Amino acid sequence: MARRVLVLVGLLVAGCASTGQVSLGEVREFADASARLGGYAELSRRYRDTYDRESPYLSPQAERVARDTDARRRAVFDDFVAIQKTLVLYMQTLSSLAGDGRYDLSGRIDDLGSGLKAMTDSGLQQRHVAAYTGMTRLLTRVITSRYQNRSVDTMVRDGNADVQTLIDAMIVLTRIYEKANENERKTVLGLFNAEIPMANRNTDRMLVTLAKVHLQNKTAEYKLIDRRYKLAQQGLTKVALGHQKMRENMDKLSSEETRHMLAGYVHDLNLIRDALSGE
Amino acid sequence: MATSSHSNPDPASDDTSPTPTSATSRQQAASPLPNQPPMPEAIVTTVTPGMPPAAADRLDVDSATRANALSTMQCVVDLADSVVCIADDLHERILQEIAGYNDRTMPDAQKALMRALTDDERLLRQYAHALYADAATFVIQDLKEPQHRLMALTAEAAEKIRRIGVIGEVTGLVGGILLLVGSIARGQFSQVGAALEKIQLHNATLKTLKPDSTANT
Repeated sequence: MARRVLVLVGLLVAGCASTGQVSLGEVREFADASARLGGYAELSRRYRDTYDRESPYLSPQAERVARDTDARRRAVFDDFVAIQKTLVLYMQTLSSLAGDGRYDLSGRIDDLGSGLKAMTDSGLQQRHVAAYTGMTRLLTRVITSRYQNRSVDTMVRDGNADVQTLIDAMIVLTRIYEKANENERKTVLGLFNAEIPMANRNTDRMLVTLAKVHLQNKTAEYKLIDRRYKLAQQGLTKVALGHQKMRENMDKLSSEETRHMLAGYVHDLNLIRDALSGE
Repeated sequence: MATSSHSNPDPASDDTSPTPTSATSRQQAASPLPNQPPMPEAIVTTVTPGMPPAAADRLDVDSATRANALSTMQCVVDLADSVVCIADDLHERILQEIAGYNDRTMPDAQKALMRALTDDERLLRQYAHALYADAATFVIQDLKEPQHRLMALTAEAAEKIRRIGVIGEVTGLVGGILLLVGSIARGQFSQVGAALEKIQLHNATLKTLKPDSTANT
């Protein structure tokens, strides 16, 4: 009976092994890096809070308009964030689907191994057991990875168009955030640029000094945030491109070229994420 | 900050001598520079927050495709950019006027005028903000459907992850069966109980993990 099992497993392995080893490591890393990118949520919040930062610098008339705009920004904020949440959930699930942690079957293969060891006295030689264990390991990997590969393929293929649409929306929104931030910068700093030269009486000296310090701080703040809009847009563009390339190369995920390409996107995304978190 | 007026000499600022009378009229100071967009006042009267001019009238948003929504969005962004550009020019005019006084103290009346103009500039910027907010709202139009599809796909993938968990359990089950077979073959009946227990455990897990027949539809 044990020999029949061995033959059966051997045949299965022989049949399945010809499909080749599937590599999803790069897919997983790309999905992880995409889910962790960051930037967009923070910039969405900053956009939502524009009025809070601007209001001290506004005239009563301008403030009335600003309050109305503030209400409209806040009304759609959840929708802006929902886009990102959908995308992050998608990427996290793709990462799980392509991940090997979830499919770490070593414990179960050990069960299989001990089952085999129990058969060593029943006509199987030790080398058979070793080969058997090796083949079984390959078998489980092939069975699982074929299923995984199909699942990842389906997800990437079916999801690509919507992923592209959502990322495109996020990029466009980030550009609008950037424009709004630029307009805010001009509102805030512009007031000081006009008022400081007009305050040239001796009695204004302390006020002018304080105003210059405030201007310096605000200038530094806007300079710092400016870079984040560009980084966020670059990151989102990389995610969109990476997913598109993955979609186009699903049938050759194991090829060196595809793996290298995906690894390149992961590298770029990690650099962008580090730059975003390091500031 | 504003950058345009140095390269576009303004007739009012050609008079380099700081003569307050040369541009003391708020209307004069606010007049557009050559080759620049229309008067700020024109924008102020036509743009109302929440109702972008022309764009809102032209489009029946409910029936617009996503492409149309994005196209409309771009129109609104362009309009907002134009308003910002006008505000920039106004700001530049204000700074030129102030700079014309050098270190001389500006009369209070002139200061009041400059402040009124900076108020106008900031009001213009708020109208630009309102337009950007409108544009952003256009971006998320028609996104519900792609979002729902992606969420459904994600749920489906989560179900697949569960199924692959089942494959793992099958592998464990095979191990249990092999242990059982091996034990019996070697006459080690003491291990049969453990092997059976293992098989039952995996079987129970399998049943728990078994996807619903409707789960993947």
